[in-house]
Amino acid sequence: MTKQNRTTTTLLRGTLALGLLGVIGAYLKASPERFWANWILWFVLLFTVALGALFIVALEHLVNAKWSVPIRRIPERIATLLIPVVPVGLIALGALPVLYPGTRPEALHNKILAGKAFWLGIPFFSARTVVSLALVLVGLLVLVRGSFRQDQTKDPAFNFRARKFAPAFMAIFALVITLVAFDWVSGLTPEWYSDIFGVYLFAGAFLGGLAVTSLSVLHLKDQGRLEGVRKDHLYNLGGFLFAFTVFWSYIGFAQYMLMWYANLPDEVIYFQTRLTGGWHTVTFALAFFHFVMPFFALVTRDAKGDGSRLRRVALLILAAHILDIYWLIFPILPGGPHLSWPELSFALLFLSGALLWIRGAMEKGEDMPVGDPFLKEGLEFRL
Amino acid sequence: MSSGKSFAVLGLFDSADALVTAIPKVREKQLGGLEAYTPYPIHGIDEALGLRRSPLGGMVLVMGVLGAITALGFQYWISAIDYPIVTGGKAPWSWEAFVPIMFEVTVLFATFTAGLGMLLLLNKLPFFGHPVLSSESIKAITRDRFALAIEAEGEGFDAAAAQAALAAASATGIEVLPEPDRGPFLTSDYILRVAGGIFTACVVAGLLMYAAVKLFPVLPPMSHMEDQPRLNAQKADSFFKDGFGMRMPVPGTVARGYLPIGVSSQEEAASLVNPLPRTPEVLAMGRKVFHNRCELCHGALADGVPTLTAAYGGKPANLQAQQFRDYPDGKIFWAITMGKNAMPSHAADLTVTQRWAVVHYVRALQRAQNAKDEDLNQAGAR
Amino acid sequence: MRTEASLLRGGIPEGLIEPPLTEGVVTPGSLDDQVLAFPDSRPPRQWYIGLAITMTAMLIGFGFIGYTIATGIGVWGNTSPVFWAFDIINFVFWVGIGHAGTLISAILFLFRKRWRNAIARFAEAMTIFAVMCAGIFPLIHVGRPWLAFWLFPYPNQRAVWTNFRSPLLWDVFAVSTYFSVSLMFWFLGLVPDIASMRDRTTSKVRKVIYSVLSMGWRGAASHWQHYEKAYLLLAGLATGLVLSVHSVVSFDFATSVVPGWHMTIFPPYFVAGAIFAGFSMVVIVLVVVRETMQLKNLITMRHLDVMNKVILGMACLMGYSYMMEGFTAWYSMNPYLHHAFMNIITGVYGWAGWLTISCNILIPQLLWFKKCRTSYFWMILVAVGVTVGMWFERFVIIVISLHQDYLPSSWRIYKPTLVDFGVLLGSFGLFFTLVLIFARVLPVIATTEVKAILPGAQPSHHGDDHE
Repeated sequence: MTKQNRTTTTLLRGTLALGLLGVIGAYLKASPERFWANWILWFVLLFTVALGALFIVALEHLVNAKWSVPIRRIPERIATLLIPVVPVGLIALGALPVLYPGTRPEALHNKILAGKAFWLGIPFFSARTVVSLALVLVGLLVLVRGSFRQDQTKDPAFNFRARKFAPAFMAIFALVITLVAFDWVSGLTPEWYSDIFGVYLFAGAFLGGLAVTSLSVLHLKDQGRLEGVRKDHLYNLGGFLFAFTVFWSYIGFAQYMLMWYANLPDEVIYFQTRLTGGWHTVTFALAFFHFVMPFFALVTRDAKGDGSRLRRVALLILAAHILDIYWLIFPILPGGPHLSWPELSFALLFLSGALLWIRGAMEKGEDMPVGDPFLKEGLEFRL
Repeated sequence: MSSGKSFAVLGLFDSADALVTAIPKVREKQLGGLEAYTPYPIHGIDEALGLRRSPLGGMVLVMGVLGAITALGFQYWISAIDYPIVTGGKAPWSWEAFVPIMFEVTVLFATFTAGLGMLLLLNKLPFFGHPVLSSESIKAITRDRFALAIEAEGEGFDAAAAQAALAAASATGIEVLPEPDRGPFLTSDYILRVAGGIFTACVVAGLLMYAAVKLFPVLPPMSHMEDQPRLNAQKADSFFKDGFGMRMPVPGTVARGYLPIGVSSQEEAASLVNPLPRTPEVLAMGRKVFHNRCELCHGALADGVPTLTAAYGGKPANLQAQQFRDYPDGKIFWAITMGKNAMPSHAADLTVTQRWAVVHYVRALQRAQNAKDEDLNQAGAR
Repeated sequence: MRTEASLLRGGIPEGLIEPPLTEGVVTPGSLDDQVLAFPDSRPPRQWYIGLAITMTAMLIGFGFIGYTIATGIGVWGNTSPVFWAFDIINFVFWVGIGHAGTLISAILFLFRKRWRNAIARFAEAMTIFAVMCAGIFPLIHVGRPWLAFWLFPYPNQRAVWTNFRSPLLWDVFAVSTYFSVSLMFWFLGLVPDIASMRDRTTSKVRKVIYSVLSMGWRGAASHWQHYEKAYLLLAGLATGLVLSVHSVVSFDFATSVVPGWHMTIFPPYFVAGAIFAGFSMVVIVLVVVRETMQLKNLITMRHLDVMNKVILGMACLMGYSYMMEGFTAWYSMNPYLHHAFMNIITGVYGWAGWLTISCNILIPQLLWFKKCRTSYFWMILVAVGVTVGMWFERFVIIVISLHQDYLPSSWRIYKPTLVDFGVLLGSFGLFFTLVLIFARVLPVIATTEVKAILPGAQPSHHGDDHE
């Protein structure tokens, strides 16, 4: 490890400790709703980003993509973030009685919630969460551990296994992302529902995974690693970032427009909450930073392959994804958008923790899947 | 018409590799402008020929943004300014509803710029007069051979040197091409000019039509039809000095059908005399009006036993009672005209004639319910 | 498995090597001779027989359409409360079929999937024909089709503008844009191919026609540069259209409050369904084309295999959408939505609901097996099933939701009439007539694009690093 690396690691450990202090303070001083809203925000965020990275890996196996083989190790390493996310998720179950109306006894008196009380209640909710986390770990085992092992064995059997497993993982992914969306995010307002919500969270997850992948690829290239990964590969990453920015915006707009159009009271309440009381600024910021800026920043062909532009836009998209999850979760708290020391502490804790984990993961295994028979073809890829 | 001067020298190659290898060799001799002719696009040939980047991307982006602004602006003007309507509870400026069309028009503008801009503006096609099209080599070019052409850039074009350069670069099938034939009318310029003309004509026609439909009708003298010197109901009017459109009746006049009764209380009304004769026609009219207007409350036999009052607890007069049998005609007329107690005035619904006919009918009902033996004689026993 | 790491072709094991995109020896010259020969030669007898059948169907349909216009919409089965029936089902069906072509030409171009090159031309042509068939229905279902121009916003003496807040008007713009863009994209692709035809043909008349159509294309590198840029831009724009056009069509339903229609998942669900139905139609047509036109060396079993994989993928997406609809019908605790959903599987038209589920979700699962993906019998069975299933899916969405919505006193049974079926038959007749004519008049394979991906077509890499 270089001196610069050691300094950064120490710095991150410091911010982690600072964040931890702040979080403990928030647990003791701030309201339970505020504490748990933050916890849920970071759980959902890290889970979606890590799951998005694993989705990228599975997708590459599913469609036999060759160009991405040289950089496939990066999302594999990012996906390992799912391991620390498991305890975060299990702790997050503490939020259920605090923030999730469906779990409380009053729900039984509510006409709508009573009918689905067994679904919304703590036992089944927790069971679904545990099963989701377990299934995701299975995916991690097959796809990521198998890939790491292939570095040593150079056995193409992994490719066959991964190709066979990829469709099954897609089914797992569809189930898990939909459950996270309906349970953890829209479960905060259990009288509201939108059946595109799973797809919406998928778009955000994929973008989050792509953004962190792009940032990591660029970071490693700066360090002189990942030789052979060229502008051609970066262009593809930029292309996907662009395409899925548009896709996320399309899903988000379609959901909003349909509810605006029909104007049904039980549906529009979701957006009313986000357009009044200070939230309209956040909504506007979301549309601007998650769609307008990345769209125009990446629209030209040159921009998509330009490393420095890509780095800035990937950072922007990641920040916008955090804003998206914040916009989804925090309106449950009264009093307008909160941004103060509890939020900053949680951010410090979880961002430092995630960064430390990912930096550690970047040292595991080879930088490229050296056992993959398609590595050569991937490195030879030209636009 | 071609002038007989050589315009270009063309050399054929058998493979893309051969062509790409030959280009730098010929380029360094700087004998003229270079152009390659291939059956499909070759990677890397743009750099080899030193072609400038295509401006099409920028053009398309600009036109796409223009399309978005046009669509949004157009919808806004139509829905919020020119003829603002609230439909389906949506405000005139419902930007959410305008997004789909805005997106489609953006794509439409961008597409036509890309396609037609590329063909007409950048490639200047259609152009049927280029010498390559009538050369020997064109069959091979669109099939499976690759050509490199050295084109004259000015006056001093050395065709022989160009041929030698191509031969040196291993070209097979070298050919000299004459000047392009700029005669034929169907060229990209012509199409662009015609299209421009049609577009301008459409814009002008549209503006004229808008003016004809919206502006002219409200300019004088067309607007004179709107501002007529006449009385409009419930509006101010310049016809009268005081500006009032609604006028008081001329003093001392009475509107037709609104002749005042002449008395001011039910007691005074006793002096009124029924002007109608007691004929079967008058009694029939009276019965019809009574059936429509009075029976509801006073009952079919005018005995105060109706169908309606049970619902709202009123107590209409029993016209068979002695009090009302003793009423002079005028007092019954007064009650119908001015109303009495809970009974509203029926003056607006019944003409004076109808009211007097009802009075006759009521009298007939009263007599029928309180008949005396002599009445049978009057009818005439048959 | 360890021993299989024998180093074939740079170390890629047998099972992971993809079959080549062309079979046998294919050179640019042989390609031209094989594909461009068709427009210049007489069609075989089967073609005339096929054309006779499709034209008969088409003319029957036109007859029924004429009857409808002359007599009125009452000759259809549409009646309160099912105000939309076969007309809109057919419209959505045909617009959906068109989307496969655009996906193949545009989206797969952006992904640089070279297998698209041999099938893109035919698929795009099918898009244009499908959109033409689709466009008939909004035109004739308005009741007074001679006044259909009222749908466009032009200054008029009625001093009334069109209602831009209506999804029906968004449809008008979306479908017209889609048609224009597809036509432009298709035409641009055709220009170099028609130039080849111009230089091959011996007939003077054809030479003039091809010259005009190819606009004097001469294959200049400076032209190719702009051309490639335009093609790339159009591919990107058309990709946006694939998503947006069928989303706008779904908005016709999703913006309403009819139970079963107002679901936010409709936009991507409809797009997935469109790609699903479209690819199936492309598979059916390509099987017929490769057999009857002896194009097996260019449209290989690999092409069919990979298209069947896309169909399978789309079937899974449709399965997800159906499951989300079912889940939401319960989760919403909305009795109307619940009833609408139960109606699909247990109501009067429950048979249509089960037909849809079987054809769209269950039967395509056969495509997990490579044997089925590469066997004519199974793939055609699945593809025809999907075509039928997707038509019935629109039937289920439209008729089942409409015939029993909020007010039980308005519930009615819908019965289509002979005229409805006749017009549907006519639309299939029109589509296949156009396909048959196209197959003999224009190059069915984009020869220029295939030439560009043949082995040896491009110069071997000359050392610049794109760094």
